[in-house]
Amino acid sequence: MKNKAMQTTPNLSRRDFIKTSAALGAATLASGTGRMFAAGSDKVRIGLIGCGGRGTNDATKCLSSAENVELVAMGDTFGDRLESCRQRLKERLGDKVKVTDDACFSGFDAYKNVLACDVDMVILTTTPHWRPMQLKAAIEAGKHVFMEKPVAVDPVGVRSVIASSELADKKGLTIVAGTQMRRISHLVEGIKSIHDGAIGELVGGQCVRLGGGMLDWGPKQRQPEWSDMEWQIRRWLFITWLSGDFIVEMHVHNLDVMNWAFNAHPVQCIGMGGRQVRTGPEYGNCYDHFAVEYEYPNGVRIEYMGSQIDGCTNRNDQRFVGTKGRAYTDFGRVVIEGPNKTEYAWDNIDPCIKQHADQIAAIREGKRLNEGKRIAESTLTAIMGRMSAYTGRALKWDWAMNASKLDLSPPKYEFGDLEMRPVAVPGKTKLI
Amino acid sequence: MKDKANPKNHKLTRRDFVKCSAISLAAFSTAASRLHAAGTDTIKVGLIGCGGRGTGAATQALMGVDKSDKLWAMADLFRDKLDVSYDMLSKGAKGRYDHMDFDGLADQMDVPEERKFVGFDAFHKLLGSGVDMVILATPPHFRPEHFEAAVQAGKHVFMEKPVAVDPAGIRKVIAAAKLAKEKRLSVVAGTQRRHQLHYLEIIERIHNGAIGEIVAAQCYWNSGGSSLTDEKPEGMSDMEWQVRHWYYFCWICGDHIVEQHVHNIDIMNWALQAHPVQCMGIGGREVRRGGNIWDHFAIEFEYPQGVRVLSMCRQIPGCSNRVSERIVGTKGFAYIDSATGYIKGENPYEPPGSPNPYVQEHVDLIKSIREGAALNEGVQVAESTMNAIMGRMSAYTGRALKWDWAMNASKLDLTPPKYELGDLPVAPVPVPGKTPLV
Repeated sequence: MKNKAMQTTPNLSRRDFIKTSAALGAATLASGTGRMFAAGSDKVRIGLIGCGGRGTNDATKCLSSAENVELVAMGDTFGDRLESCRQRLKERLGDKVKVTDDACFSGFDAYKNVLACDVDMVILTTTPHWRPMQLKAAIEAGKHVFMEKPVAVDPVGVRSVIASSELADKKGLTIVAGTQMRRISHLVEGIKSIHDGAIGELVGGQCVRLGGGMLDWGPKQRQPEWSDMEWQIRRWLFITWLSGDFIVEMHVHNLDVMNWAFNAHPVQCIGMGGRQVRTGPEYGNCYDHFAVEYEYPNGVRIEYMGSQIDGCTNRNDQRFVGTKGRAYTDFGRVVIEGPNKTEYAWDNIDPCIKQHADQIAAIREGKRLNEGKRIAESTLTAIMGRMSAYTGRALKWDWAMNASKLDLSPPKYEFGDLEMRPVAVPGKTKLI
Repeated sequence: MKDKANPKNHKLTRRDFVKCSAISLAAFSTAASRLHAAGTDTIKVGLIGCGGRGTGAATQALMGVDKSDKLWAMADLFRDKLDVSYDMLSKGAKGRYDHMDFDGLADQMDVPEERKFVGFDAFHKLLGSGVDMVILATPPHFRPEHFEAAVQAGKHVFMEKPVAVDPAGIRKVIAAAKLAKEKRLSVVAGTQRRHQLHYLEIIERIHNGAIGEIVAAQCYWNSGGSSLTDEKPEGMSDMEWQVRHWYYFCWICGDHIVEQHVHNIDIMNWALQAHPVQCMGIGGREVRRGGNIWDHFAIEFEYPQGVRVLSMCRQIPGCSNRVSERIVGTKGFAYIDSATGYIKGENPYEPPGSPNPYVQEHVDLIKSIREGAALNEGVQVAESTMNAIMGRMSAYTGRALKWDWAMNASKLDLTPPKYELGDLPVAPVPVPGKTPLV
């Protein structure tokens, strides 16, 4: 899988050419295309956009993934989050963190300021809502991008991400998405064996992730000085316009594995869900359970079931049913049952570091590595499941991808009034 | 209730019986004359539960039996319900009870005042009134006790699905079904798909290997639904209020996954020739108000050999509807709903049309009674009901469940402290992770 995704793009220069091409590198940068690198050695300068827990973690992994990778600029909506992140990274990574005070930016435009710095690549780890616009700006500015999943919260955002990904290809920029399951060795091997026919033709599947309610996540008490907008952003996980709801925000990982194994995205879906436990106003407008049946090409129906409710049975696995056997997959292993009985175990290599190492290497070697469209499709898979559950309506992929006008953006980005949208009511919430 | 909740969805309903009555009645008179030729005595039918479904079932039974057979006695908790039912059965009706139109059946009725029984013990009195066969059509909660009493009294039984609302009730039904077998009594359940030609044709082909080994399946009852928005009238007891609005209260109804979706779940058991080994479910109520039942469920049932089946049911108006079953094998798949069906793959098949199954199930029962065949669907419908109950229990509690535990060890018994028209607080709406698994 990795090799396939990292095919050399012939148009890009070979390493021996690059070494002597400082002038060309500068020229391409000026034209909005990524700087050329000397393989394995040239310094890669990183900007971090989104300094929450995920951003802190990704920056740590990225800087640890290869030599000569430095963090030089940071941006976050909130200065306090940025500063605590900068301190933590300095403690962890020492002088790899070279972020001066004048390279720290807060506010809604922080990402623009980071992109204006001398960075080669940005890590996009703001809340999912901002991903499409920040990816677009980053690619237009000629930066390589590592972006966390999910990459949008609505079909309008998904279309933007796909357009930006196509532009990235034209500009020779790499995009890696934080779907680390794609780099877990046993999943890579196991799903390759499914593609090679180990369980015959796929005729069914299950994707189940039942976990805790995350009730203690984030600040629960609203500070008097916080505007509606600030309160919502600080509680973003539970607010659909910011997170996409947990089916999108978290379970896109699992749905991405389904798309991977099927080598396709679903054709249609029908979903249900609701909130039975996280019913207080501090839990915004997200649901706490979803069940969606996705239909893949050739009429193959799979079950997705997800919940975030404390005190329930937990599960986190995918299962593929073929005409000649079955494959069970989770974080630890892949078990192929049937005539081609095999088991693949995790090799203990951290896939979260590997995804950065792959990207840094691709940048330095000038290889094509662009996961933008793939993660956009997996994100839309999750979004369409949410849309179906919220509205109670069966949905087709083509409609969601091409015709849906759903755009959850607020009227304006400023710290002011922002009414909390009501919790979706199936049969009443409009399909847009 | 099973169709009332979904008047527009279910393609083939009892009302269709009347629409195509010319064909249907011809078919029944053939059946009836054959039965008559068998030369048995008049069958006296007792109706226990005189609501919409009971009245409908009585109508369909009388249409399915010989003209000499009689409705002999009627029982209900409430006199007004019994009177409405009696009136309708004798005079006929248009557009009442599932929009069913039918002419009066007075010449097949012999229910004098002394064989009209009212109250919680009405069923006992009816069983002592000289009936040969009873129709058990009260709300599901009462079924186990009624079925047990009917079998002990030596009566043949037609009983509506579901046949219980909790594992304690299921165990009682299974025991009674076994006793009925010993006594060679006939027992038919209102899972009418089992009597519907295109289901029979397709499932038989599946059992004969038409789609290879079954590896997955799906079943759905996603349709409209309603809320209990009325207020309890001044002076009416809690018990009367709840029983009169039984659908909205889990202890009487079992929730819609049990009360309605059991139809589709029953097809899974039939096709797979097994009951599940375990299940995991989710659900909730987003729209429904009043009472304590939910409005949506999604359950993964795991059958022997690790075959996983997805069940989805929803009762929310304004959503996409789907009521059907789908069975996936290594050599093809089958799709079935109440009006049509087909097999695709290596052995494609499309069955011809089906006669009305709601009458057919009574024809099959009467035939069994007359021929002494002791057709007994008691265990089968108890197991399908148990499937649905265990799915509900898993969703209510958020806990994965094993069949053996639910069937043998669960102590869940939703029976109220006493059967009298008095106080009865409404149990809270279940909350997964908090509602205990009992």
